[in-house]
Amino acid sequence: MIIAWMGLLAAISVGFVIWPLVRKNNKPLVIEDTTPAVLVDQLDEVQRDLDRNLISKTEANAAQLEIKRRMLTAARRGAPGRIADGGTGRGLLWSSALFVPAAAIAYYALMGSPEISSLAYADRQAERAERQKIVEITDKLYARLTSEPDGGASEGWMLLGQTYYRMGDFDRAVEAFETVAERADATSATYSMLAEALVSAEQGIVTPKAETAIDRAVVLDPSNPAGIFYKSLALSQRGEEPAAHDLLVSQLDTADGFAPWMEAFVAQANSIGEKLGRDRVSLTDYAPVVADAPGPTEEDVAAAEEMSGQDRAEFIRSMVGRLATRLQNAPDDLDGWLRLGNAYTVLGETDQAIEALKMAEKLLASLSSDDPRHKLVDQALSELQE
Amino acid sequence: MIPEIGHFALALALALAIIQSIIPLLGANKGRLLWMQSARATSIGQLALVTVAFAALMRSFVISDFTVVNVVENSHSLKPMLYKIAGTWGSHEGSLLLWVLILTLFGAGVSVFGSNIAEALKARTLAVQAWISTGFLSFMLLTSNPFDRMFPPPEDGNDLNPLLQDVGLALHPPFLYLGYVGFSIVFSFAVAALLEGRVDAAWARWVRPWTLAAWMCLTAGIVLGSWWAYYELGWGGWWFWDPVENVSFMPWLLGTALLHSAIVTEKRDAFKSWTILLAILTFSLSLLGTFVVRSGLLTSVHAFAVDPERGLYILFLLALSIGGSLALYAWRAPMMEAGGVFKPISREAGLLVNNLILGVATGTVLFGTLYPLFLEAVADDKISVGAPFFNATFVPMMLPLVLLMGVGPFLSWKRADLPGVWQRVRFVAILSIVATLVNWYLQEGGPLLAHLSILLAIWLFLATLREWAMRIRLFDVPLSDSWHRARNLPRAAHGMTMAHAGLAVAMFGFIGSSAWKVEEVVFVAPGTTIEIAGFEVDFDGVERVRGPNYFADRGTLSVMKGGNPVTTLYPERRYYPIAESSTTESAIRSTLAGDLYASIAEPASEDAELSGAWTLRILYEPLVNFIWLGSAMLILGGGLSMSDRRLRIGAPKRKSVPATTTAPAE
Repeated sequence: MIIAWMGLLAAISVGFVIWPLVRKNNKPLVIEDTTPAVLVDQLDEVQRDLDRNLISKTEANAAQLEIKRRMLTAARRGAPGRIADGGTGRGLLWSSALFVPAAAIAYYALMGSPEISSLAYADRQAERAERQKIVEITDKLYARLTSEPDGGASEGWMLLGQTYYRMGDFDRAVEAFETVAERADATSATYSMLAEALVSAEQGIVTPKAETAIDRAVVLDPSNPAGIFYKSLALSQRGEEPAAHDLLVSQLDTADGFAPWMEAFVAQANSIGEKLGRDRVSLTDYAPVVADAPGPTEEDVAAAEEMSGQDRAEFIRSMVGRLATRLQNAPDDLDGWLRLGNAYTVLGETDQAIEALKMAEKLLASLSSDDPRHKLVDQALSELQE
Repeated sequence: MIPEIGHFALALALALAIIQSIIPLLGANKGRLLWMQSARATSIGQLALVTVAFAALMRSFVISDFTVVNVVENSHSLKPMLYKIAGTWGSHEGSLLLWVLILTLFGAGVSVFGSNIAEALKARTLAVQAWISTGFLSFMLLTSNPFDRMFPPPEDGNDLNPLLQDVGLALHPPFLYLGYVGFSIVFSFAVAALLEGRVDAAWARWVRPWTLAAWMCLTAGIVLGSWWAYYELGWGGWWFWDPVENVSFMPWLLGTALLHSAIVTEKRDAFKSWTILLAILTFSLSLLGTFVVRSGLLTSVHAFAVDPERGLYILFLLALSIGGSLALYAWRAPMMEAGGVFKPISREAGLLVNNLILGVATGTVLFGTLYPLFLEAVADDKISVGAPFFNATFVPMMLPLVLLMGVGPFLSWKRADLPGVWQRVRFVAILSIVATLVNWYLQEGGPLLAHLSILLAIWLFLATLREWAMRIRLFDVPLSDSWHRARNLPRAAHGMTMAHAGLAVAMFGFIGSSAWKVEEVVFVAPGTTIEIAGFEVDFDGVERVRGPNYFADRGTLSVMKGGNPVTTLYPERRYYPIAESSTTESAIRSTLAGDLYASIAEPASEDAELSGAWTLRILYEPLVNFIWLGSAMLILGGGLSMSDRRLRIGAPKRKSVPATTTAPAE
């Protein structure tokens, strides 16, 4: 449909360019015709003004004399410039007519987003109802937790905080995590999630308050990846980039096989490393085998386990959607495509799974043949295509 | 799908613009008719495609399609429909799209209505116009795409600045842009004339209607903006010498000079290269205005440096178009033939002085506007140049211009008879002085500059009427004859009278509302009474009311004069929860004599809030409505002039219509 409309627009544009080729030619107007016409009109105007007594006879005479003199000058400027009429130069117009759609299509192929359909606010009733439901459930959970005499279970508050965080309501997420953080059963994850919410609430800035939470998270569990990640963020924002980089790389060094947090570490290490002029690190340096192409993070799974079947499918789908969108913008992410393929396989969307794995296959083509991921992709593809 | 169609249409429009910037020019140089004529269809094509894009964006706003980033950032599902539509041009991207739409509108206008323009000049003009649209379309597509998408869409939009949710302001940018961008076609005509190496009466005549159209729109745009500031900002001022205002005022000043110098070029074949230069500079100032407002330069020079991509691109466009056209001017203008000669006392000389004063005034405003930016850039020093500077420099410069405006129309072309003119105007001069003295007595003094300005405004008004009366020989001949003569006058003559008188009327407004303004800012609690300019104003309290997407604190003020109730005013302080910002809705009692203007603001302290006290600003602005009346007369004058029959003449085929001897109203 969209192709048809664009085709129509392109065809119309071509029509505009070749219009002079198909229409009848008028006699061209040249400046040697138009200037005297204006001067003659000026003469008439003077005469009319005189007839109506708007100007005196002497004024009229002087003006007429002057205009006539200008007519002579105009006439003396020489013969009209030659204008070739009719057919010459058709070729250039035809090639321009081809250029117009070609240039527009080339641009659009790079910059357009034909895959995103337009979505009127009025047509998004179901989505709003869904969101409303989540809000209601969250409100209910909040009410229940606050009404309980012991202040509500810590697990409940953690779930509430994560839900608020996902809804983008960072301030309330902070509030929920803080409730747990003040208790004795607060874990390293409690503090790292609190730190994450605090940083998000400040649009990515690590405040002193956030850093206190980060430090606490690292003290409780020196191997908590989220804690270390935000510690490095705090260091880099303070101007201690080398320390931030070292911290990230040392954590990557401790890794034993692939873990989902490593991607973010690699990306962050490279973005800091670039400024410092350090060598780029690669995920394959630390995780030679991307074992089982993992899906969502542990926290995601934990959150999903507490949901009903339908909610869970919806939740997974939204995560997969987010991953797919991210990959549209960063299509060079091999492991990302592997994960997407895996996720689609789990959801039973075979065609999309194959598509994602094909993308991975394309990226793999440039890597050495002993990369273990070759086998992984081949195997998954053959299973899907059966 | 619709946003993508819009996006694609813009890409096609850019491709068409590229074609149109090359082929017609080649055609004009090689004398190939086919190539020259291609500009006609492509310029209409550009308009059609940009219209499709604009309609696509507008539809996205109307249905609140939040997959379009621009809609997310500038709209909200709860916003009233009118402001959803206005949101289309409320953002940087959308306003650029409007800019380009108007650019192509003027290009297509020349194609459609320019059947009397010589082929080569038309081809060159449209090619130059296409250079500009190539520049701006590529700017938009590469740095400021209004059709950027996002998925999944957010729940709702981020609203439009509630200050901008106002009818005056919804209409202000389109008009301002019609003016700004309208001067592009005049610029294109000028550059085409330079390329052609020829400027004559015919050229001046073709340029005039476009100059007039752009000038009228710019006037309307500036006035709408000023009117908005007057009743929306809550300060009761109508002009703040703010850089955003100044950058629209500068093209207006030079455009006004251009209007007048083009007359000399048409009638007397003189001022040719001057007119060309004015055409180039006027549009250059429009571009500068767009640059200054759109690059973020105004917020701070440093804000510009934070997101330099857009700023640099538009700076590059600016340098290319201004630098290029001025270089072309330096190279080609000396080849223009000198035109008609004139004596120091003549209409030409009068218009020359007019042009010089307007030029210097523009330079002054330019200096006052750019100097703080320059200083901030080099010395990291933030200063603001405001009303005191402009009142001390710009205003005194305008006074001799007004004096001259009264005399100018009496001067004849080539050489004028000064004693004769004096004989005609001396009665007017004496009458003006007497009227000023009477006013002095009635006002019991007042600032000298204000009285001098009043004198000149009266003088301008009366002299303009006198000149018109002389033309129709009012009271010299029977009234029916005068009526007949008035109908026979060219419309351009009526236009001039209307516009000059309009300026005089607007001046009464400027002076009255600045020099004799009375202002009170007081804390009020229910029951407080304030006396201002002969009115007694009772503050009855504040109540909370709800609007469609805001809630408001509405004050109630009972206004009385001499014990008799006059009116009740309801100034509001509105709060927009989604955009988290507040606006002031002032309440105004308007009469021709002056406005009683009231606005309220939050209580100054918590203690005051507890006791129910509010800050009330109340003003009496004498004659302020004369500003709007006079401005309307200026625009009407431009319209009358534009409808003059002469502007539609010029082609041989049109001339075959015989001029009837009875000469209907022209």
